[in-house]
Amino acid sequence: MSVLEVKNIKKSFGKTEVLKNISFSLEKGEVLSIIGSSGSGKTTLLRCLNFLEFAEEGIITVNSEKIYDGKLNKKMKESEIRTKRLHFGLVFQNFNLFPQYTVLKNIMLAPSLLKIASEKEIEENAKKLIERVGLNDKTDSYPCELSGGQQQRVAIARALALNPDILCFDEPTSALDPELTGEVLKVIKGLKTGDSTMIVVTHEMGFAREVSDKVIFMADGIIEEEGTPEQVFGNPKSEKMKAFLSKSFENI
Amino acid sequence: MSFNQITAALFEGFFQNCELFALTLLFAIPLGLIVAFGSMTKIKPIKYIVRAIVWIIRGTPLMLQLFVVFYVPGLLFDKPMKSRMLAAVIAFVINYACYFSEIYRGGIESIPKGQYEAGHVLGMNRKQIFFKVILLQVVKRIVPPMSNEIITLVKDTSLARIIAVAEILMAAERFAGRGLIWPLFYTGIYFLIFNGVLTVLFGRVEKKLDYFRS
Ligand SMILES: Nc1ncnc2c1ncn2[C@@H]1O[C@H](COP(=O)(O)OP(=O)(O)O)[C@@H](O)[C@H]1O
Ligand SMILES: [Mg+2]
Repeated sequence: MSVLEVKNIKKSFGKTEVLKNISFSLEKGEVLSIIGSSGSGKTTLLRCLNFLEFAEEGIITVNSEKIYDGKLNKKMKESEIRTKRLHFGLVFQNFNLFPQYTVLKNIMLAPSLLKIASEKEIEENAKKLIERVGLNDKTDSYPCELSGGQQQRVAIARALALNPDILCFDEPTSALDPELTGEVLKVIKGLKTGDSTMIVVTHEMGFAREVSDKVIFMADGIIEEEGTPEQVFGNPKSEKMKAFLSKSFENI
Repeated sequence: MSFNQITAALFEGFFQNCELFALTLLFAIPLGLIVAFGSMTKIKPIKYIVRAIVWIIRGTPLMLQLFVVFYVPGLLFDKPMKSRMLAAVIAFVINYACYFSEIYRGGIESIPKGQYEAGHVLGMNRKQIFFKVILLQVVKRIVPPMSNEIITLVKDTSLARIIAVAEILMAAERFAGRGLIWPLFYTGIYFLIFNGVLTVLFGRVEKKLDYFRS
């Protein structure tokens, strides 16, 4: 049974159709990488899953529960949106940590406000997550005292603290200096063994190829190609995918 | 009259300045926030009306506004302002609320959209996002412009002289009328000391918020 099923998502901004007809599904514990050139709609897709944008059409099902239907979205109340978006977590390209809080407080803030457990349990869990992303010595540091890579690892821990069914990453290493991407990718790789279901938008082809169970290549708002990494990278069928791949490797 | 007597007399006048200062801050700081929200609301008519009011208040002299508040109730509604101080407080509160509102608005609008989005994605509601995530960042950003504005307010309180509030300059003028000019210049010391204290205070607040960068 799929954890996530996305059916016929369509999203426009004004007259520009950004997502034309996106459907895919994801099994529990799988890692899906989404690749594609800039402007192809990858960010918009993640934002639709997290209800930062609302698709005009399409259905999103999580664990067989229909959590979104484009036809009915006008009727969704804010409180309903808040509950339903907790199925997803989102790690942003530029981290968006809360600057006035320490690492620990960044991770604890939302769980405390939502009262998902006792304050003590929330703190214990936060400390475990900090350990998991390898920042034990930074528990009481403020974001401005951390490197970009460390900030992104905090952002990952913060997203994990709410136990999302599916964790989304929007180019988690694009804002980082090249020497810092490794530590973040390593943490994401580590989550895979932890049984997290993940969607990773990325330009790191090596990472996508090594870590994903499934790869989607997007171009101009449609899924141009999809399959296992071996299929998509080893034996691409579409011309656009071939062109994209040769360009990506030119850069290296 | 001795130096000490004059110092005391001027103090009495300066007390009026302090009163006007304190009351203006007390009401203009929260009213400014309401005006700021009004000027940012999605409800267009309210937004445009509020912005027009802010434009008028910021575009005309405070002295003129003092006259308007003091005389217009008597002229139009046959209900003359009984208290000069009350008229001054009303004019100052309206004037400063508009100035503060623009500072607040600038501060709120300068917070990156990503901060709101991070809050939303983590399941917080709007109120939690504003109070737990946004507010302190706004406060940090507006402390410098607010301290400027508040120091200006200290000096502006002497404008109340124009509707005969017995503030420090008016007190000094009484001595000048009797041929004693130096008390008039002496009033500067009062303002300087008051603003000196404020500057130190704001410096402390700024330092206190120095622990994070946004
Ligand atoms: N809020 C918005 N308003 C208007 N156009 C937008 C908005 N967000 C994204 N777009 C447009 O949608 C297209 C896809 O953007 P995006 O999803 O960010 O692509 P990607 O993440 O693949 O680079 C782009 O052409 C972009 O200009
Ligand atoms: Mg993007």
